[in-house]
Amino acid sequence: MQTRFLPYLLTLPSLFLAAVVIFWPVWDLIQISTHDVSRFGQLRDFSGLTNFWALTADADFTAALWRTGLWTVLVVGGALLLSIPVAIILNTDFYGRGIARVIIMLPWAVSLTMTAVVWRWALNGESGMLNSALLGLGLIDQNIQWLASAETAFPMQVLIGILVTVPFTTTIFLGGLSSIPDDFYEAAALEGATPLQQFREITFPLLKPFINIAIVLNTIYVFNSFPIIWVMTQGGPANSTDILVTHLYKLAFRIGKLGEASAVSLVMFAILLVFTMIYVRLAMREQRA
Amino acid sequence: MSLRKWTVGLMAGMSMLMLAAQANAGEVRVTVAEYSAKTGPYFESVKKDFEAANPGITVKFEIVPWEVLLQKLTTDITASTNADLSIIGTRWLIDFVQQDVAEPLDSYITPEFKDRFIDTFLSPSIMEGKTYGLPIAASARAMYYNKELFEKAGIANPPANWTELQEDARKIKALGSGTFGFGLQGKEIETDVYYYYAMWSYGTEILNKDGTSGLSTPGALEAAKLYKSMIDEGLTEPGVTSNNREDVQNLFKQGKVGMMITAPFLSNQIKDEAPNLKYGVAAIPTGPTGARGTYGVTDSIIMFKNSKNKDEAWKLLDFLFTTEQRAKFTQGEGFLPVNKEEAKMDYYVNNADLAAFTALLPDARFAPVIPGWEEIAQITSDAMQKIYLGSAEPEAALKEAAAKANGVLKK
Repeated sequence: MQTRFLPYLLTLPSLFLAAVVIFWPVWDLIQISTHDVSRFGQLRDFSGLTNFWALTADADFTAALWRTGLWTVLVVGGALLLSIPVAIILNTDFYGRGIARVIIMLPWAVSLTMTAVVWRWALNGESGMLNSALLGLGLIDQNIQWLASAETAFPMQVLIGILVTVPFTTTIFLGGLSSIPDDFYEAAALEGATPLQQFREITFPLLKPFINIAIVLNTIYVFNSFPIIWVMTQGGPANSTDILVTHLYKLAFRIGKLGEASAVSLVMFAILLVFTMIYVRLAMREQRA
Repeated sequence: MSLRKWTVGLMAGMSMLMLAAQANAGEVRVTVAEYSAKTGPYFESVKKDFEAANPGITVKFEIVPWEVLLQKLTTDITASTNADLSIIGTRWLIDFVQQDVAEPLDSYITPEFKDRFIDTFLSPSIMEGKTYGLPIAASARAMYYNKELFEKAGIANPPANWTELQEDARKIKALGSGTFGFGLQGKEIETDVYYYYAMWSYGTEILNKDGTSGLSTPGALEAAKLYKSMIDEGLTEPGVTSNNREDVQNLFKQGKVGMMITAPFLSNQIKDEAPNLKYGVAAIPTGPTGARGTYGVTDSIIMFKNSKNKDEAWKLLDFLFTTEQRAKFTQGEGFLPVNKEEAKMDYYVNNADLAAFTALLPDARFAPVIPGWEEIAQITSDAMQKIYLGSAEPEAALKEAAAKANGVLKK
């Protein structure tokens, strides 16, 4: 009897602490989003779901919602596709592997905001490094105004998003690869399996749990990622590169609609929660099967 | 380390936290916007001089970049951890007054004190007959032009109206070699203001007389079409919507742009960064009827209602608005003098650049005193970006923006 309840009892303090840290802000957001709230966060009358209805009528919100989906899928997907081969290469033994690993990890060590600032300079239409390089190589004959419209700005932001997501993802995969015993490959090679077959039949299935973790964690990070888009375009021009976080920031701190901003926040929380639950459920069922 | 030592350390740490959280008697906390690299050192010297002259009062300046100032104030006020004094954009003041967080200063202001100010700059901080803020910084806009490019293109004088400006821009464009006639800002803060320069010349105001948005008037449309036609003709720098004010100013400093409209601080920057650039400052061009407008801006320093050290805070304000302190701050940052005595100093009287700005003051428009102004500015900027990009027709974009702005105004 005693031993059955003891583990729960022991985890109770940290469970309590976690609950305070997680639920208190969410409760606060629920309060703000369901009230008429002043410019400086003082709650006034209860307003029910008014703030949420206001969102559905806001075309910028719906556009930002879809763009957030696109942004998350492209960045997470791109980072995943890039990280698997990178991790496999870094896992093989070659001369200078240490240095190669450091180079891949380096973007991780630089703050996201700083990375975005440097890219903003590099993408400047008249004095940016990228245009000078492309002109010098003869690939273009006049400057491209990268950040002037969403058609060029958003793809660049996605590319930068992928670039900064690769180090973390690669680290997860390197951990996964090192857990696969070499014997498997030796046995497969003896049986005459090609490298592609080895990847399909050994590496990929055994890496799957790690891919799942990478997808869940990256989706959460990327979905909420603010600096890249904010620093480079502030979601502009004309809100055409806005994702939910940048839209929320403008709503809250520029226009002063704290109620609607809290509602956006809760919508984001709900989306991520549902995504994570469904994904984890699916991934676990697959593993059991 | 023994448990006992840990406990002592922890207790010491906690008591320090509590001390820090408690406002000390005689301490004045001030939130200050960082205008340039000179802001920090200036307030550092204020702290030293003021504390030496007023023993028993300590001053703490919290210097925040402009970009995040409103965010910091919003969160601080929500949590009631705001400072005693703060610099704010005067255009935000109405929100602070309506939410009852700003203290009226009239009980402190003596006639002598009030007489120090130039009325044009003090009046935006007065609401419903009460003075809620003091103009800590004042600025207006005028047109900078590159004399060397003008000479090369054979242009004698800066353009007096927009038609002349277009012709001059064509001549500068014809010089080739990566020079652009007119620098047009199309990104971030004040994208809307850059459009108002043209809009005011066509006789349209931000708000019509009946309090509705001016964006749906014919003048607003003419102005938008003017800028759009200049973009299409290649008279502006390429990629307008990727250039914020600093980007255009950088192009001007590099000698690539013939004309641009901006604030007096560009003169200071040119002095430091491009001392060989030959430039002049002229009035903003007029429209077909001779109308013109410049944007007047003040930032106010306000006292919070919940301040516990109001008398000490006032002493600091009194100190900040002495002629000597004003001159030091204004000249360092490149603002306009707000203080009558200060304006008489040689520095301002013999300064051709600044004279061009002060001459425009009778045409200055300040941001309208309405709640929700920031949202209307945002709506206008968004509409302009759509027009500049060509993703919406000027007429449709302005109509839509006017409807949105009227929705905000009705609230």
